[in-house]
Amino acid sequence: MSRGDSSSSSSTPLVPAPDEALIAAIRGGDERALAQLYRLHWPMVSHFVLQNSGSDDDAQDVYQEGVMVFYEKVRDGSLELSCQIKTYLYAVCRRLWLKRLTSKSRFGVRLQEDEDLGPLHHTGAEDDLLAAEEQDRRFTTMSEALDHLGEPCRSLLEGFYLLEKSMQDLTAEFGYTNADNAKNQKYKCLVRLKKLFFAHYKEAPI
Amino acid sequence: MQTEADYYALFDAYARGELAPPARTGLEARLGADPDFALRYADFDELTGTLRAVGQRRALRQQLRDLHAEMLAETSAQQPAADAPAPGALRATVNPLLRISRTERVLRDFWSGHRATVGVAASVAVLAVFGSLLGLEAWRTFSAKPSTYGYTMLRLELKQLQKNQRALSRSLNQVDTGKGGAPAPVNNGKFSGTGFALTADGYLVTSYHVIQGADSLLIEGRDQQHYHAETVYADRAHDLAILRIKDRDFNGFGRLPYTFKAGQADLGERVYTLGYPREDMVYGDGALSARSGFGGDTAFYQVSIPVNPGNSGGPLLDEHGNLIGVVSGRQSDAQSAAFATKSSLLLRLVDSLAKKQPAAPYHLPHTNRLVGTPRPQQIKKLQDFVFVVKVFEKD
Repeated sequence: MSRGDSSSSSSTPLVPAPDEALIAAIRGGDERALAQLYRLHWPMVSHFVLQNSGSDDDAQDVYQEGVMVFYEKVRDGSLELSCQIKTYLYAVCRRLWLKRLTSKSRFGVRLQEDEDLGPLHHTGAEDDLLAAEEQDRRFTTMSEALDHLGEPCRSLLEGFYLLEKSMQDLTAEFGYTNADNAKNQKYKCLVRLKKLFFAHYKEAPI
Repeated sequence: MQTEADYYALFDAYARGELAPPARTGLEARLGADPDFALRYADFDELTGTLRAVGQRRALRQQLRDLHAEMLAETSAQQPAADAPAPGALRATVNPLLRISRTERVLRDFWSGHRATVGVAASVAVLAVFGSLLGLEAWRTFSAKPSTYGYTMLRLELKQLQKNQRALSRSLNQVDTGKGGAPAPVNNGKFSGTGFALTADGYLVTSYHVIQGADSLLIEGRDQQHYHAETVYADRAHDLAILRIKDRDFNGFGRLPYTFKAGQADLGERVYTLGYPREDMVYGDGALSARSGFGGDTAFYQVSIPVNPGNSGGPLLDEHGNLIGVVSGRQSDAQSAAFATKSSLLLRLVDSLAKKQPAAPYHLPHTNRLVGTPRPQQIKKLQDFVFVVKVFEKD
């Protein structure tokens, strides 16, 4: 992992970063800490995926998925880490890649592993991934509901909630006469979105 | 009456903390008292929460993508710089597995994806090849069952003769129909072999396999005489058959010029045979090359005479005109290895038959009129006693 070290030394003074400090920094919203974490463990995961018949793009997808799970847990404050970050990330990415491989292949999959990080059962990765999957499903349903909503509701809601623009900006952008009109329109859109979202989200199989 | 959108405006203001304190306490009281209202608020909360989370998730994804691109750009910028000062120096930090060429990647993907299929295909191919080879071999062995494998029995299939006879019966039919008579029976002569006289009074010898499955037998001499014959005795193990002419007007072959040798003939003796492998008599000569036959069978001699289908049942004579055997078959995968049943076995067979039926004695010839005469003279005397045996089978 010397490559990760060399690049991180140029971008951040936190060398070598103990896991606790890194987690604290990320929780505090430090983007450089996230960047450092990202660079630090990328070679390990990319090596693992490439070795198990994946491509560079696969490795990137899997790794970003894994980092996202980790990051969101950290931001929630719900992360209970019983091992190193490295082990946790490896366990999460390994599980993700295994799942993709099994869905691609008709036969059983056997992984080839160089890393020896001890037992991976107690990292909590499995549970976290299940929760993340549920979360993903919710997000996907929401995105689909937004797509079904049609214009201008979609842009209005995306502008307000996703991109966090102010009501004044949106009023100007969509050409409403005043902010109250825009607000009323927004609430009507929200009601429609609610119907779409809950209709799909509740009836979808768990 | 408030619409749902109005409720949402209210919730929105409440969630932002923009509501005036009295309205706020009123709302909170209602949330505590009215479960339907509380549920409506929970839905609103989840909806806006999810919307915000989706926004955050998209931002994070974009951030990670940027990070990745940035990292790749940095490493690719670093690499040439790092390579330049120490060209050829070993770089242990770069994992060789990360530098796989595109072709190798494609090959690896293919192999990992189709490994099992390729394996199954290969084993099916191997099984098919060996299966068909073994099957072919088994089939050949099975189909060659009537004779021993590698051993060919020498009776002739009479396609040509058959054709001639059909033509003949057709022309007969035409003559008959002119007279209004019934159609002549169709002859279905199937095989032919050779036979020779055993006694002067109408017994003949031929090979068992010549008359095998026969319905009726026709004996044909060199001078186009025809006799009907019947099987008196057949010995499958030694490939011998004794026939008798049953025509009423038959009055004997005349004195036989040869005698039957009771003992064994010697190796290297000059021997010859006469037979009908075609419609004319054919002479063949050679030497006695072994005292056992195919597969070590001591009932047979091996002789080096070129023989062909139709030679079966022909007499095998030595230089002095002693009959020493009956031609039976040849080995198909060896050069000029023919086999003949020993005459001693023929004599033993005749003895046992004579004991069983004392009423019909066998008068074997006692004097040899061929001794001391040159080969062409011997053959001239012999040729009247060698016949074509034609075999007719039932449909």
